[in-house]
Amino acid sequence: MIMQLLGEVLKLMVLAGFAVAGILVILIWKKGLATKVTYLRFIIQIVTMVAVFYLFTYPVYQLIVLIVILVMPLFLGRFFCGWLCPFGLYMDAITLIRKALKVRYRLLPDKLNRALHNLRYVLLLIFLIITPVILSILFPIPSLDFAPIMALLFAGPFEPFRVLLGPLIPLIVPWVGPLEIGGVYFSYPYVQEVILYSNVVFSEIFVNVTALIFVALTFVGSFFVRRVWCRFCPTGSSLAVLNRFKGFKWAPALHIDKDEEKCTKCGICKRVCPVQVTEVYEQKGGKIDTSMCMLCMRCVEMCPYEGCLKVNMGGKTVFKSRNWLEPSTVE
Amino acid sequence: MKSKSEERRYVPEISQKEVEELRSTIKAASQKIIAENIERMKKTAENRPEEMKYFDDIANFFGTREKEIRAAKEKGRKVIGYMCLFAPTELILAADAIPIRVNSGWYDTAKLGDRVVPVEVCPVIRSTIGAKMIGLSPYLELSDALISVLTCDGMTKLGEILSDYKPVWAMTIPRVKDSAQSLRLWNDEIKAMKSQIEALTGNKIDRKKLKSAIELTQKATKAFRRLQELRKGAPVIMGRDAMLVNQTYMWDDIKRWTEKTEALCEELEKRAQNKMWACPPDTPRVMVTGTPMIWPDNWKLPTLVEEGTPQGVLVADELCSSERLLYDPVGVDEWNMSDMFNAIAERYLMASTCPCFTSKDGNEDRINWLLTKIKDWNIQGVIYYVHRGCMLYAMEYTRVKKVLDDIHVPVYYLDTEYTREDVGQMKTRVEAFLEMLTARIDI
Amino acid sequence: MITVGIDLGTQTVKAVVLKDGAVVSRGKAFSGFDPAKSAQQAVDEALKEAKFSLSDVNHVTATGSGMEMAPNANSTISMMGADAQAGVFLFPKARTIIDVGAEEARAVKCDDNGIMMDFVVNERCAAGAGAFIEAMARALEVKLEDMGPLSLKAERASPINASCVIFGESDVVTLIHRQESKPEIARAIFDAMADRISSMVHRLGVNPDVVLVGGVAKDVGFVASLKRKLSIDVLIPEYPEYAGALGAALVAVRRAKKV
Repeated sequence: MIMQLLGEVLKLMVLAGFAVAGILVILIWKKGLATKVTYLRFIIQIVTMVAVFYLFTYPVYQLIVLIVILVMPLFLGRFFCGWLCPFGLYMDAITLIRKALKVRYRLLPDKLNRALHNLRYVLLLIFLIITPVILSILFPIPSLDFAPIMALLFAGPFEPFRVLLGPLIPLIVPWVGPLEIGGVYFSYPYVQEVILYSNVVFSEIFVNVTALIFVALTFVGSFFVRRVWCRFCPTGSSLAVLNRFKGFKWAPALHIDKDEEKCTKCGICKRVCPVQVTEVYEQKGGKIDTSMCMLCMRCVEMCPYEGCLKVNMGGKTVFKSRNWLEPSTVE
Repeated sequence: MKSKSEERRYVPEISQKEVEELRSTIKAASQKIIAENIERMKKTAENRPEEMKYFDDIANFFGTREKEIRAAKEKGRKVIGYMCLFAPTELILAADAIPIRVNSGWYDTAKLGDRVVPVEVCPVIRSTIGAKMIGLSPYLELSDALISVLTCDGMTKLGEILSDYKPVWAMTIPRVKDSAQSLRLWNDEIKAMKSQIEALTGNKIDRKKLKSAIELTQKATKAFRRLQELRKGAPVIMGRDAMLVNQTYMWDDIKRWTEKTEALCEELEKRAQNKMWACPPDTPRVMVTGTPMIWPDNWKLPTLVEEGTPQGVLVADELCSSERLLYDPVGVDEWNMSDMFNAIAERYLMASTCPCFTSKDGNEDRINWLLTKIKDWNIQGVIYYVHRGCMLYAMEYTRVKKVLDDIHVPVYYLDTEYTREDVGQMKTRVEAFLEMLTARIDI
Repeated sequence: MITVGIDLGTQTVKAVVLKDGAVVSRGKAFSGFDPAKSAQQAVDEALKEAKFSLSDVNHVTATGSGMEMAPNANSTISMMGADAQAGVFLFPKARTIIDVGAEEARAVKCDDNGIMMDFVVNERCAAGAGAFIEAMARALEVKLEDMGPLSLKAERASPINASCVIFGESDVVTLIHRQESKPEIARAIFDAMADRISSMVHRLGVNPDVVLVGGVAKDVGFVASLKRKLSIDVLIPEYPEYAGALGAALVAVRRAKKV
């Protein structure tokens, strides 16, 4: 028992060690490089995915994980989306392939982007409310007691809240996943939910096809449109909900600040943003008020005016735009 | 009997004899003025930086650079001239052509221009017309084509007048900067310009060439900014010297200019460490904003400021012949053709503070630029410099004055012409302004 | 503390001797072809009247368009700076000083220490200066000094369109042919001038008290027109044309103390 515990602790320490080493290497080696934050983010995304795998090996209540993710935006904005989300890592990896092939990205029209942002709530509604309603029709519950309803939501055949953990599903899963190769189970965000749901509609044969189509769509989508899922991901909706309430205007503590006078309206921040946030460009100054921003900090990296954009954590500046002007060596 | 194609649509007849006479007189006068200006700049600064020698050489219009361009042309390279800052230099460089700015700074040719257009027209325009009439400017003469960006009325018609002599490619620039349709239009104009340049030079602009052209101008911007940063503290370089360095970018070979500017910055950094100031650190720090001041003749105002009693020093400016040239870099996100083109188009259109633009907030960009400069460069007074005839700059004055009054920075409106006659009057005013700044410092 | 201020104007050179904060004497000479010599003359005249010699003087400051040519000057000051100092010295509450000279007019805004805060100069045009009156007096065939009193006789001004000296002259001839009365034409001339000056001052902002100095301040006709156009009372010192020299002498006191 103790040996097992020690084994787990050792595993965690090794993982943490690699993470720290990777981060230090980037910070020191690429110190002067304009795009060091992008490299840093990539390392952290990979480390996080491995960490999530380990997390899921423990019999931890996934509900707790979900609550943590939904509460995090209060303090860190959508930092999770930009730096920790495994699905984000896949989409970024596909973007890297596109960049290597020198294929240009496509922009979604601004109106569509905003509409998708609101679509999140619709999806949230469907998963959290409509599905249980359908379920209770399909699998009628004996009584309208608290316990049976909770059972339906959390342990029933569809476990609606689980969908919100969809983007966290790592490539390799510690449970029986949809794909098995040499004793290792592979999975992909939302695929298990897609299989579950499509089982109701289709028969076994088409279920796997549906799953494949879903994977292909997200691949192609994120190849041409950067971070395509993030624009309507239901997991990323908590911040937007919070920001509508007056009391939460200070949220998030980690956010981007803009100095109006230093801004020359050159438009670089708008162009480089993977999710097409326009508030950084449009707003005059002060705290950038948007629930789309994933805090990937690409705009701060690419802003060529010293101190114009800053990433502030409760008052203190963590990272600010600087006069980069070295030819980029990223691609 | 003149054929239709030889008939000039605007410029009246001028005999070859007169042309040659005028050219030789004005050229001789110009060379004298260039030498004189440089002498005066040397006298004002105590121990002028050594590296300035290179820039003095390039400042001579009829010297080294002209020979270099001729030699390049013989080898088959093309020269593309431009009048306004919006011409996409990177595209020109990517096609292995030489970009060169052809605005004229000669007073004497403005009088010639009066034969073609009324006196009320912007003097820079009249001077350029006059220079073309007698073939004075080597850069204008050596251009194979001219890019005319239709920023103001004068520029629009200048393009037409010059098209009597050279192929002129007009680029429409939208006057409203920040709308989606404006950016689309400008993007299309840039793409059209790419085709024009490729057709003239016979070189295709591909990804690799465009990437190195952009990297070249990014390096130049880096050196350029480094120089301006060095003017933030106590003065290590006089304003006229820095302005000359800035301006030579318009004519020089960009790679070499970058190297020499970096060398100059090295020298200036050493001076800053050893506290070798170009003038006493408490000299009133002045910023000029307004219409461009082109070398060699239109050096009137900077000379008055830096040779006046009391002396002032120009530490920053908002002029398209100086600090507006290169301050903003081309910010490329992904090095594919689409993003490089977007980056180029946006860099030229959106960061500009030219008053020919308007937007929801008017020309807010210019106000912000001025405010940032005033704070970061510790400016004590601003001279608002306008060429008589420029509606755009003249009309923005009251807005700028209000903003500067709010932060208690004195601003003085100075309008002038391409003439030497009003130096006396200007001297009185400039010196009174400098006196005012000194008095404020005393208190 | 004895200081001398010299104002080398385009038509005349004026000098003022100041001792311990009070004006002791004044001197004047025509600028002519040799302003330096005329300046020396004016200074000598003033010193003679004050019974001082040059060696008694602590500091000499020159002002005016010819200030570079002043002999024996220790320093120079702009006309605007001199006007501001003189204005506040003569009228402690002065905050706007208008100086109308022979060929240029200017206005200065200052603080209560006589330090100038802003200034405006009339743009390259003599129709806002003494030369305009001279030219118009010639056209009307009236003596220069009679123009003022003549204009005061008029109840209205003849219509003059031109604000340019050259066109003004032909305008006046036309009005005479139309048999407009001389007082009314004279008044129109002063009104036109006052109009130009007042719009110049408005660019600066009118801050009471307003003081008028310069040779033209002695002309009652102009003063009346200016008061009407500005709708504010205008203070005029006893020797308005010496204001520049006085201001220079006051500045000299400051400069002498510094050294």
